[in-house]
Amino acid sequence: MSEQGFLSIRGLTKRYAAFTAVEDLDLDVPRGELVAFLGPSGCGKTTSLRMIAGLVPATSGRIVVDGKDLTEVPTHRRDMGLVFQSYALFPHMSIARNVAFGLEMRKVPKDEIARRVKEAIALVHLTGKEEHRPTQLSGGQQQRVALARALVVRPSILLLDEPLSNLDAKLRDEMRNEIREIQQRLGITAIFVTHDQGEALTMCDKVVVMNQGRLEQLGTPVDLYERPRTAFVASFVGRTNRLASVAKDGSVEIAGQRIAAPAGLSGPVEVMIRPHRIAFAPAGEGVPGTIAKAVFAGDILQYDVEVAGQILSVELATRGGETVLSPGTAVGLSWRPQDVFVYGAAA
Amino acid sequence: MKTSVSFAIAVVLAGLSAPAAFAQQQTVTVMGYSGLFQERYAKAVVEPFMKANPGIKVEYFPMPNSAQMLGNLRAQKAAPQADVVIMDVSVSKAATDEKLLTKIDEKNVPNVADLYPNARIPDVDGVGVTFDNLVMLYNGEAVKDAPKSWMDLAKPEFKGKVAIPGMPDIQGLSLVLIMDKARGGTDYLKSVEKGIAALGEIAPNVQTWEPKPEVYPVIISGQAVIGAGWNARAQVNADASGGKLKAVLPEEGSVFQINTISLVANGPGKDAGAKFANYALSAEAQKAFTESMFYAPTNAKAQISDAAIARTAVKSMNKVIPVDWIALAKVRDPIMEQWRRKVIPLSR
Amino acid sequence: MSAGAAIALPAPAPRERGRGVAPIVALLAPIALINAVGFLAPVLNLARMSFYEVEPTGAMREVYTLATWAKVFSDGYYAGLIFDSITVSLGITLLTLLCSYPIALYLHRSSGTWRTILLVLVISPLLTSAVVRTYGWIAILAENGLVNNALATLGLAKLKLMFNATGVTIGLTEILMPYMILALLAGFGRLDPRVEEAAATLGAPPFTIFRRIILPLTLPGIALGCLLCFVLAVSSFITPKLLGGGRVFLLATEIYDEAIVTLNWPLAATLSILVLIIFGGALMLYSRALRAIL
Repeated sequence: MSEQGFLSIRGLTKRYAAFTAVEDLDLDVPRGELVAFLGPSGCGKTTSLRMIAGLVPATSGRIVVDGKDLTEVPTHRRDMGLVFQSYALFPHMSIARNVAFGLEMRKVPKDEIARRVKEAIALVHLTGKEEHRPTQLSGGQQQRVALARALVVRPSILLLDEPLSNLDAKLRDEMRNEIREIQQRLGITAIFVTHDQGEALTMCDKVVVMNQGRLEQLGTPVDLYERPRTAFVASFVGRTNRLASVAKDGSVEIAGQRIAAPAGLSGPVEVMIRPHRIAFAPAGEGVPGTIAKAVFAGDILQYDVEVAGQILSVELATRGGETVLSPGTAVGLSWRPQDVFVYGAAA
Repeated sequence: MKTSVSFAIAVVLAGLSAPAAFAQQQTVTVMGYSGLFQERYAKAVVEPFMKANPGIKVEYFPMPNSAQMLGNLRAQKAAPQADVVIMDVSVSKAATDEKLLTKIDEKNVPNVADLYPNARIPDVDGVGVTFDNLVMLYNGEAVKDAPKSWMDLAKPEFKGKVAIPGMPDIQGLSLVLIMDKARGGTDYLKSVEKGIAALGEIAPNVQTWEPKPEVYPVIISGQAVIGAGWNARAQVNADASGGKLKAVLPEEGSVFQINTISLVANGPGKDAGAKFANYALSAEAQKAFTESMFYAPTNAKAQISDAAIARTAVKSMNKVIPVDWIALAKVRDPIMEQWRRKVIPLSR
Repeated sequence: MSAGAAIALPAPAPRERGRGVAPIVALLAPIALINAVGFLAPVLNLARMSFYEVEPTGAMREVYTLATWAKVFSDGYYAGLIFDSITVSLGITLLTLLCSYPIALYLHRSSGTWRTILLVLVISPLLTSAVVRTYGWIAILAENGLVNNALATLGLAKLKLMFNATGVTIGLTEILMPYMILALLAGFGRLDPRVEEAAATLGAPPFTIFRRIILPLTLPGIALGCLLCFVLAVSSFITPKLLGGGRVFLLATEIYDEAIVTLNWPLAATLSILVLIIFGGALMLYSRALRAIL
């Protein structure tokens, strides 16, 4: 984080009268990367994006793009492209006019506008719809127009504010691939705000997990999944079992098994293990438990296993020929130490 | 459609008034001016009439102006709701021509015999019940020397301070007739050019040709300080303003405005309507109303107190220029046009 | 207003069209009936009356004649009245729009209790009659009124603000502003703050956003408000009577005079039909404008 990125944010804070939306955000995004802002609603991700775009003035902090401090620069001179959740197309203009708008603002010559608009519309596969009005297009098509409109001006940064959340599941997958493909092809630096961890993990180079206005963790999808730094990240990114325990003398005990606790941790802790990282141990070995519920879901078998009074969810990939264990069956569970995360319990 | 609605209303009203009919009580509905006129007329004429005729109940139906009374008469032609109507003489003429009224004469209303000749208007079914005349009004606090001539309205010190209800209001028209005569005009039915010219001299001083709600409060408040209005209301307003408003009959003279009392054709109250009209024209009622509101009486036998008579035009009849309002109606449009072209532009 | 609002509504979705005619007829029946009794019948009656013969005294005969219509079309005075009524009303409408637009825009963007308070403030003048408000203006505009006294205190010359067209324009503009504001608000539906933000991110400075985005998107509201205020301005007679001082001649005041003072009802009816024709023209222009906008 010491190296300054193409987009560099330092100490970015937004306070309202009785509420801090974003607190002391530091972030560096290298040129050409797609970074997700991930978090539950109200975590400050959209406010951060809007501060970057200049739509919301920052209470304090700096926003620097390519070495240029933009903190005090008004929106219309920031040269960023923003794609809104609600598309925000100009309803009184044709698709072509919508896409041309940013170029007209930049006083691009007419023939060049025509050429670039045509290219941008082709890029999002809407050739032939140039003279349509936004209301004549489907939601997915409108979002493509919004994307083309933002991209055609070749913005320094592309900002996407939950662009897929108004689309149905099938369209969402399609658009997700398309956005990623276009972003990589153009090599554009982009920020993608989402509350959907699946979108963040599958599309983005890096993910910023935010919670209650603060940055919880910044890392690659693998970092977040395999090395979640906080209990919030572990539970928000991917599914996980949460067990309550107590740390003492540098270790934590779950169901008779002792695990090394992170240095300096003592007192109540939360222990997390992802369901599919738990395996059934050979008979008589591992942590003893009892099957409470079994569900066969085709590609996986889901079990709820009672272990020392707490329920652990276990998922096993099916390979064919498994017997589905019935409730009441005694089993042994095992896991690798590196798959267990231990965090100080929230007060 | 209109007819059937009024018929339905008539049926409903007839049903409502049925109990009164059983009690042998008759009702007379009198349509007349609202406001001050209604207030004074109820006390001076309506209440004494009811005291004298316990079997007859008078309902006063107030209307803001004669035109709306005519409108009501027209709408109720099939089933009239009023028995007696008090309205301006020219409107009364229109109602006569539309056969909305029953002719009043000595036969059905004996007191007609005692009326001044000019209270009986040819070809009008009603007869004069009040005479009023145009007077010059001024604010006694703002105007120290009492004005004497209508042309005082053109004095430079009254620039922007004059309020005259202009044409088509008959007060504006009356002023044209008075000044036309004063400047040597002979027949207002042929030409009022001289009168129009005189008004053109006054016009630059005029603040408003539409003093609202009436000319009297406008002058009392000091918004304007001098103008023209009707004598009766001026007298009552003068008293109410504690003498602030003053009225004079200028040397050029004045004209009468005549309110007629008429019987509505096929009124529901039948002969009780004629009975009321007869009382309204009696010396007693005429005296009471003149002493209350200073309309000049139309009954020659009315014995009116000196104090009251001095505040009407009765003692200055030589100054009252006779006007045939019915004949004048025929030339009103061309006079109006001259007013628009030769008076209004000079007041801008 | 109801006619304007009905036109401003979007076309029904195809699904709604398929539901059968009976419920629509049933729902429209009351308003159709009210309009037939309360509007159509009186208008037809007026139209008939405009052909009645009239005596100089005002007596009407149920004999049909074209005399009144011929008089209106041949006498230049009435052409002048129509021209003045339309131009004065257009001027008032434009002024009302200029004064109301910023207020409506601000109201559209405000929210919560503040918005409610502002809306009440906008609507509250409507709870007072136009007559009372006009008298208020007399107190402000008179020779010794608020404005002129202030000017005199500052050592400036007094202005003739009342009993002329200026007074009528000022008074009617204020009286019509609530209607304009409400109509504008009703027509601001497509104005979405996100769309304005989108324009800003694409490089549009504030004034360009106004010209290219806000203004075009608020045109339906502008058209509706202008239609409404124009119609109200043409038909208002109390304010021109009180503030015009008998110097401002408009169709509505002339209709009043002919009906109430001169007692020429056929002429009043003829002029009323002309006003109705002007309204018809305004409505046509409005729907044409709306089609061009949307």
